[in-house]
Amino acid sequence: MSHSQYPRPPKFLLRFFRWYCHPDYQEDIEGDLLERFEQRLNSEGVKKARWGFYKDVLRLLRPGIIRSWYPHQLYHYTMFENNLTIALRNLKKHRSYAAINMLGLTLGIASAILIFIFVKYHLSFDTFHTDTDRIYRITTELHLEDIDLTWGVPSPMAQAIRNDFTFAEEVAMVTHLSDKLITIPSGQDQEKFKESIAFAEPAFFNIFNFPLARGNQHTVLLEPNTAIVTERTAQKYFSEEDPMGKTIRLGNRIDFVITGILKDLPTNTDRPQEIYLPYANLREYSPGLDEEGWWYSTNRGRQCFVRLKSTFSSTEVNQSLLTIPEKYYTEEEAQIWNFTLQPLSDIHFNPDLGGYVEKKNLWALALIGLFLVITACVNFINLATAKALSRSKEIGVRKVLGGLRRQLFWQFIAETTLITMLALVVAIILAYIVLPYVNQLFDLPLSLQLFQDIQLLTFLSLLLLFAIFLSGAYPGLIMAGFKPVQALKGKLTQQHIGGFSLRRGLVITQFTISQLLIIGTIIIANQMRYAQQADMGFQQEAIVMLPRPEGGISAMDALHNQVSQLSGVKQATFCNAAPASGLNPTTAIRFDTRTEEESFLIYLRAGDHRYVPTFGLELIAGRNLQPSDTVREYLLNETAVKKLGVAVNQEVIGKNVTINGKVGIIVGVVKDFHNKSLHEAIDPIYITTLSSNYGSCAVKLNLADLSSTMAALENTWKEISPNQVYECDFLDEQIAQFYELDNLMLRLIQIFASIAIIIGCLGLYGLVLFMASQKVKEIGVRKVLGAGVGNILWLFGQECARLLIIAFGIAAPLGWWLMQNWLENFTYRIKIEPEIFALAMVTTFLVATLTAGYQSLKASLANPVDSLRNE
Amino acid sequence: MSKHHLGEFEEIVMLTVAILHGRAYGVAIIDEIESRLDRKVSIGSLQTVLRRLENKGYLDSEFGEATKQRGGKRKRYFTVTNFGKQALQEAKDQRLSLWNAIPTIAFNPPS
Repeated sequence: MSHSQYPRPPKFLLRFFRWYCHPDYQEDIEGDLLERFEQRLNSEGVKKARWGFYKDVLRLLRPGIIRSWYPHQLYHYTMFENNLTIALRNLKKHRSYAAINMLGLTLGIASAILIFIFVKYHLSFDTFHTDTDRIYRITTELHLEDIDLTWGVPSPMAQAIRNDFTFAEEVAMVTHLSDKLITIPSGQDQEKFKESIAFAEPAFFNIFNFPLARGNQHTVLLEPNTAIVTERTAQKYFSEEDPMGKTIRLGNRIDFVITGILKDLPTNTDRPQEIYLPYANLREYSPGLDEEGWWYSTNRGRQCFVRLKSTFSSTEVNQSLLTIPEKYYTEEEAQIWNFTLQPLSDIHFNPDLGGYVEKKNLWALALIGLFLVITACVNFINLATAKALSRSKEIGVRKVLGGLRRQLFWQFIAETTLITMLALVVAIILAYIVLPYVNQLFDLPLSLQLFQDIQLLTFLSLLLLFAIFLSGAYPGLIMAGFKPVQALKGKLTQQHIGGFSLRRGLVITQFTISQLLIIGTIIIANQMRYAQQADMGFQQEAIVMLPRPEGGISAMDALHNQVSQLSGVKQATFCNAAPASGLNPTTAIRFDTRTEEESFLIYLRAGDHRYVPTFGLELIAGRNLQPSDTVREYLLNETAVKKLGVAVNQEVIGKNVTINGKVGIIVGVVKDFHNKSLHEAIDPIYITTLSSNYGSCAVKLNLADLSSTMAALENTWKEISPNQVYECDFLDEQIAQFYELDNLMLRLIQIFASIAIIIGCLGLYGLVLFMASQKVKEIGVRKVLGAGVGNILWLFGQECARLLIIAFGIAAPLGWWLMQNWLENFTYRIKIEPEIFALAMVTTFLVATLTAGYQSLKASLANPVDSLRNE
Repeated sequence: MSKHHLGEFEEIVMLTVAILHGRAYGVAIIDEIESRLDRKVSIGSLQTVLRRLENKGYLDSEFGEATKQRGGKRKRYFTVTNFGKQALQEAKDQRLSLWNAIPTIAFNPPS
């Protein structure tokens, strides 16, 4: 009777049993199990027998039967000590390899740490409030030709939500205003400050977690003409004096008594205002900002926040918000206006709603950090496998003496761990040293608190594990897999350690990453240069923007007269904003005799009759505006004419147009100019005289003798407007600020590209070093047989060149695709020229030649006698 | 309490080992208990008890010869040691003395 034909018990159960069972008990109990299985098989059939076996095995899993897991503690410790000693000896013996590995890993890890805290900082924005998942901002959608999004809301929004709906636990209006004049009336020499302020309803502080250091949280901002300021601001205004009960004055008009002191705001908030005033005072300060029952305008500073009751979902609330337009707008307008919730967690990241940085940019950065660590690990793998051959004897002996594959593997991991840990420590120190410079360079408030930051610690541990296993596992497996006989006889060849092909693959990876980053750097830099040097359609150089002086039209006239007489001044104009500006008020337009308003909004540029010549705008039809405030005359830009559906510019001249409810005549058409950054398309624009709207004075200067002109400007301005704060900005600098984030990304990528190149070069250097030492004999023989230095150099060069070209073949299309995506962010952008790729190629080639050149040259110049003398 | 305390299942296992006299290995003990007492016993519970009794010195064990049965695994035969016999005896005496102490009237109430 042959057993093999009988059904057998499940193999994996048997293996499981053998694994857990105490070795002393294993044999007879296994026999019992099998016997029981056979018994059951005969009496009850296969299924029941298997099931019974399964139950038996599980029931055997109990303390009396299972093996003990810690039998050889002492033994393990000795091995560990031994591994450490060997690891240290190896490091000492191969100093240059260790240094290259350490340096690469250090740079990679330090970059990863900095990127981590940068990304974490941005992800932490406004997460410190309570119930953040229930806090939302109400945003406005205007369904015109395109959907127009804004985070401002009409004045009555909060009131309507309070009256009509039950979903809100708290709802608050807040209006942010920047650059407002604050004075301290009690001081002797009235100090003047320009501050960002916020008018807020009391509920604002129930929604947001900005705790008070002093004062009563429950009565904050309830009374008109009270104010709360941060500790920092209080310190600035009153230094050591008690700020409570002190008075601050807004715009030289309205006094507020300080009744509370806010704790200093965290840096990771998108509400950086440090002075809060009661919403009740907003109308007094600026009637246009708080109009009762007026649903037809929004302002980006005026926002509405709600915290939903936990029983309502945002989809439900968005549904109920649909009823607002129905109730408060005419039927036609209700088609256009729409309100939706924006989660608090979206505010920092949504580019359409004023978010600071898109999450995808952060992930791109994180990816770069990962790349850097990977490149460093690749170095490690490369050098370790290259070195493996020279350690084959050691491994052979260890194996012959009974070393297990597993032990050899862990020995190698121990060595890797040692290097990686050292690198980590150095990287942390490096990060500490570099961080202040990074903060300065990028204007960031980052801090590195290693032992308080659990996330950072977790990240570092994971990074450490990742780096150890990524760099240690493969070489470890290769070495542990050596056949002892071959290893001892010295018969191992490159083929046994993964061959050149693996190392080639790794070097290609590194070159690909470096080239990608170089291509990215070049393209971003080119686009930035293009954006900053592009013809914006108006003059931006040598124009300085001053604030409008206090005191009506007469003051403006006085300023203009005096400024025009300064020798360094060419021309001056009053306006609400420069042609390109962040200030972009819009309004509705109705053309000629048409009965309906156009389906697009038109952008206002208010300026006097000198606006067009001062900024060098080009009139392509009609004439400039008359210097009058009462006769309504309009200039349109080409885009506006096109949007009106008129084919020839000349045709609109002399036609009536109703803009912002006021009828006027179109007197001219100006050539299109960029009114925003090059990210965005040119909008339809009208220019008109509107002295009530002027907020700045643009002065065109003669650049010769600039400093005395600037001083004269300041004096003139201060004489006319002694109670205001004088500020001046150069227009081109203001425009450069449009690209602040782009420039930040550029600098970051530049830095990381350099680091990637450095790490890559280290790897290449190490590899050539190794190749040179391996090929000593070969080079000797070749030279004896008549090869020149050039031939030998080519031996090294062709290898590098081939790898570079393959890497380029991968990096170029990938880089083209990625950067094309990035460029889509710009409406006006450069073309990706082939020269860019050539430049990237040449750069890496040069760097590679420089790195590899010296060692190759040294190897090829060596005297063959030295290498061939001893065998 | 006596120092040779035996649990109920321990006592049954030792008695069965004694009954089987020289043929007492895992499966045989289980079969014996199952047929005599109509009681289900798993290998797990039996083996833990056997090892415990062996550690206490009540049982002794040695391997038998390997056969073609049982996948070629040897059987482990258990025998009761003298010390074990003493413990069993003590348990039995204790029971008996308890039985004897029951007044006749308790189980045979006068009708």
